[in-house]
Amino acid sequence: MGVAVMGVGMCGAFPTSDGLSYREMIARAAQMAYRDAGIVPAQLDGAVSVEEDFVSGYSIADEYVPDQLGVARKPVYTICGDFLHGFGSAVMQIETGRFELVVVEAYCKASNILHKDELLHFAFDPISERLGVSPHYLAGLELQHFLAGSGFDLDDVAEVARRNREVALDNPLAPYGGRTTLEDILEGRPVAWPLTEPMLARHADACVVVVLGTDEAARRSARKPVYVAGTGWGSASSIVARRDLSTSEGTEVAAGLALAEAGIEDAAADCDVFYVSDLYAHRQLMHMDALGLGDAELPALNPDGGCLGMGDLMEANGGARLYDAVLQLRGEAGAHQIEGAEVALVHGWRGLPTDSAAVAVLERERRTA
Amino acid sequence: MTRVAVIGAGMTRFVRRAEETPGELTSRAVAMALADAGMGIEDIDAVCLGTAPDAFDGIHMNGENLIAGAGGTRKPYLRHFVGGGTGVMSPIHGWMHVASGKFDTCLVVCEEKMSPCVPHPAGAFLTIFDHTTEQPLDLTLIHIFALEMARFMHAYGYTEEEIARVSVTHKRNALDHPAAQIPEDITVADVMASKLLSWPVKRLDISPTSDGAVAIVLASEDVARARGITPVWIEGVGYRLDTAYWCTRDLAFPEYVALAAQDAYRMAGITRPAEEIDVWEPYDPFDYKALHHMNGLLLDRTGRTVHRLLDAGAFERDGSHPMCPSGGALGVGNPIAATGLMKIAELYFQLSGQAGRRQVAKEVHRGLAQAWGDLMQVGTVVIMSSEGSLPTRYSNWSDVTVEDLPGTPLKSVADAPHVEYHPELEYAWDHGYALTTYLEGFRAGKIRASYCAGCDRMMIPARPFCEVCDLRAVDRYFDLPDTGTVQTYTISHVDWASLPLPEGKVNIFAVVAIDGAAEKMGLVHLLGEVDPADVHIGMRVKAVWKPESEREGKVTDLAYFRPLAPEEEAGEVEAVMIKPEELTRATAKATPGRIPLDYAYTAGLGGRRFYTDLAEGRLSGTWCPECEVLMIPPSAFCEECLEVLDPEAQARSVDAGSGVVTAATLVFEDRMGRPLDAPVWVVQVEFPDAVGSLIGRLLGDPEDEALLGLPVELVATKEVGPEHVAFRAVG
Repeated sequence: MGVAVMGVGMCGAFPTSDGLSYREMIARAAQMAYRDAGIVPAQLDGAVSVEEDFVSGYSIADEYVPDQLGVARKPVYTICGDFLHGFGSAVMQIETGRFELVVVEAYCKASNILHKDELLHFAFDPISERLGVSPHYLAGLELQHFLAGSGFDLDDVAEVARRNREVALDNPLAPYGGRTTLEDILEGRPVAWPLTEPMLARHADACVVVVLGTDEAARRSARKPVYVAGTGWGSASSIVARRDLSTSEGTEVAAGLALAEAGIEDAAADCDVFYVSDLYAHRQLMHMDALGLGDAELPALNPDGGCLGMGDLMEANGGARLYDAVLQLRGEAGAHQIEGAEVALVHGWRGLPTDSAAVAVLERERRTA
Repeated sequence: MTRVAVIGAGMTRFVRRAEETPGELTSRAVAMALADAGMGIEDIDAVCLGTAPDAFDGIHMNGENLIAGAGGTRKPYLRHFVGGGTGVMSPIHGWMHVASGKFDTCLVVCEEKMSPCVPHPAGAFLTIFDHTTEQPLDLTLIHIFALEMARFMHAYGYTEEEIARVSVTHKRNALDHPAAQIPEDITVADVMASKLLSWPVKRLDISPTSDGAVAIVLASEDVARARGITPVWIEGVGYRLDTAYWCTRDLAFPEYVALAAQDAYRMAGITRPAEEIDVWEPYDPFDYKALHHMNGLLLDRTGRTVHRLLDAGAFERDGSHPMCPSGGALGVGNPIAATGLMKIAELYFQLSGQAGRRQVAKEVHRGLAQAWGDLMQVGTVVIMSSEGSLPTRYSNWSDVTVEDLPGTPLKSVADAPHVEYHPELEYAWDHGYALTTYLEGFRAGKIRASYCAGCDRMMIPARPFCEVCDLRAVDRYFDLPDTGTVQTYTISHVDWASLPLPEGKVNIFAVVAIDGAAEKMGLVHLLGEVDPADVHIGMRVKAVWKPESEREGKVTDLAYFRPLAPEEEAGEVEAVMIKPEELTRATAKATPGRIPLDYAYTAGLGGRRFYTDLAEGRLSGTWCPECEVLMIPPSAFCEECLEVLDPEAQARSVDAGSGVVTAATLVFEDRMGRPLDAPVWVVQVEFPDAVGSLIGRLLGDPEDEALLGLPVELVATKEVGPEHVAFRAVG
């Protein structure tokens, strides 16, 4: 059974968003997505939210999902992961044949969380990983393993940050676009040397809502559907001390599933636009390797500016990438439109201390019946 | 759609306080489930995990921390939750994995370790309430249960004694469950005499807080049939989540459970559930909840059927409608998500004839398990069936005893190596447009609503959209009278952390339907100036406001509601349309939020070995005979093959002085992101012949920044915790 993206909505990204409660931010993105999909929420068969308790400040954050999506009393559950994990779950839900229209939502009110490093530190294992120092230490260790095990050097890492922020200047939604230099990045304030502050994505607030439906439902009502060709997700071990820190095994698993489902053997050749998580600059390179993209020259990479340009939207990160991918496939991306984009590969990473990733492959037209 | 079978189950004991870490508990349940299914982890295509609030385990992104123990390493792994409904949502999510055709097998794992949260896990429930409009009242879970129980008793005419019979039966049933935490032979009088916590809730009306893990294996029909034994099928699933505005609906009947059940019945082709279901496992975190849920499951708004079945003893194990033959949450224990999956496992045992002494008297072909959660809000339902006559080839579970189940109970965390932690988590929650007007109303001594013309509802708290009218924008705001009617109430003797209030002090919480608002549209608040004995449902009340100078634009500006005398009744008072607050730099405010919890984490079986060694400056690894590797740090399971390991018996010594730095980073900030006075070297260190590494600080001031390859030794310390793990250069 085919599943299509029927509509997308996005509110943000903003460095702060104090005129909008989280409910108002979500309701706005949801209404955009419903309008785009040509539906009202009463028609939905279910909803998937992507949330984490301590990000929302709630115990059992799923409580506060239904109202602002207009889905109270409908089948609703919450996935903890990147937006793309929830997206994969929702696709699977439709593929059971018992659901036709499902909405996926993730939001980020990072500006309402006063100590984000402490929050991240709290995600580390209390018995073996909470070192009482900046949790970015793990990125510092990863960076070294990656440089040692790949052909890249620190300049290549800095170039990711420089390039993505510059590209973000073409994206009106991106709050952190800017022109900078390799030197600015390499000589930036050290956080966990050799990792410097400009190699990390800054946080921002946003909400992303995506309406999924069967191909039939999409053709019936959506203004301009795009089609889901494959989804996958995967995780490396949660035990950092025994994980290969030079690579992203989670991405390999996720990509393996999604690309096989999409019938794609050579992603670099067969996809036209690529979104690869760059929460830390070195992670983009690491993920590209795990995605099988190697060090291919990919001009159509993170055309929205990625996390470095759009901000770290926490659970919503993959959603922002997916939102842009849908615009690209529709030819509606404006100044950062990639001409002739037919197939998009979208990758999301959960962030430290995990190596959990998810991948979606979208296509402008169904290549197979 | 692919048919989905349950082909194996595993569980730990449910205990108040387990020595094992969450990952260790999980790994043991998984290993048992795989063995029961006759599979290895390599046969599993995907893993999905359920765990309820992260505030219990005390680990942000707890699902990520559990990957290795759940068997999710290098696999598609998803964590889902719907609060207390998670345990039965988990097999539904697992069902999606297989029914979609995407995977042939899916391991479904549920875990909850509530004990790290101190002084009491109940404190984690403060933050289930709306951070802006409800948390300032210092509510906890017992309060909302008590409010619902009182309303349920009022609506359906139950006495506390009748409800107590549920607790008696479930705890007695649990005497036969090997995992049970508080199996007991008690009487109704015992329940009635137990400590009153928040009227009508007493200690023995409630399930305990627990640590535990449960796992099941799901398989497609092809895989299940290939095993050559009669599978147990998942026939129907349903799950529904109601509005978070819980003061706007009648708590007496669980509409969300009825809707979820209807979805499941439709899928399973069931039209007469009372006759077609042979065994019931409704969620029973409180005794009345089992009856409340049964009303929903039997789609019986009158409640007469359930009341009659209870009176007739039909819910006993040898009755016509056996309910919670497992012993339920009340008897087996309530490690939230794991409890729901324990109920699924019980159906698997009952339907495959493996329940041993718990096997119900009647012949069973079909069973139903249900869980509930959130703010009286979510219902999750699974219907399972066996094929034809009872299969006889199972025997794995019939004779299992407590000795066969993993899980090490501790009297106190202090009895084991442990790490204490206080998360410094603070928030400021933006009010946005609608709540700014609502909260400024409190400052002005007014209860404010917004009005939706679509459904003709005057809504409290004021909101900018209508959740029942397809998110129609709502722009009309009104001041309402500050009088109303008590819908339900509780007289509480405990605070938000479930700790006793000072002697003689009680808090009376009530849901008050505000005059002029839509029917039953109200808010939760305190009652005052009233003798607790005089409080009743239907009581008329009026707001008492703090002096104007003390008001802050918070819900606590309303001090409490007091009884309204008949002569004070103002008759019909018109709602007054008002100009909403304009958002400016000055008016756009945020409510401070907090996570008021502390944690004490046991180091677990692996951690015990590691920190015991560290105190002596030693290091040992754990040998996995299956993978033939020596793992550091010590581990109670192998994340590659999911073999259960004993870090003591399978320990092999490693030379603590033979470490080599494989990565190093100079860290300039503390855990809050504040600059450190002096940067700290963090190093990853490997040891010869061992798989894995240790991560810790490097002491001393290295002369050279090129630390890779530096030989180091582990520094002995009696302190427990990763902050104290350190290395020193040798030579």
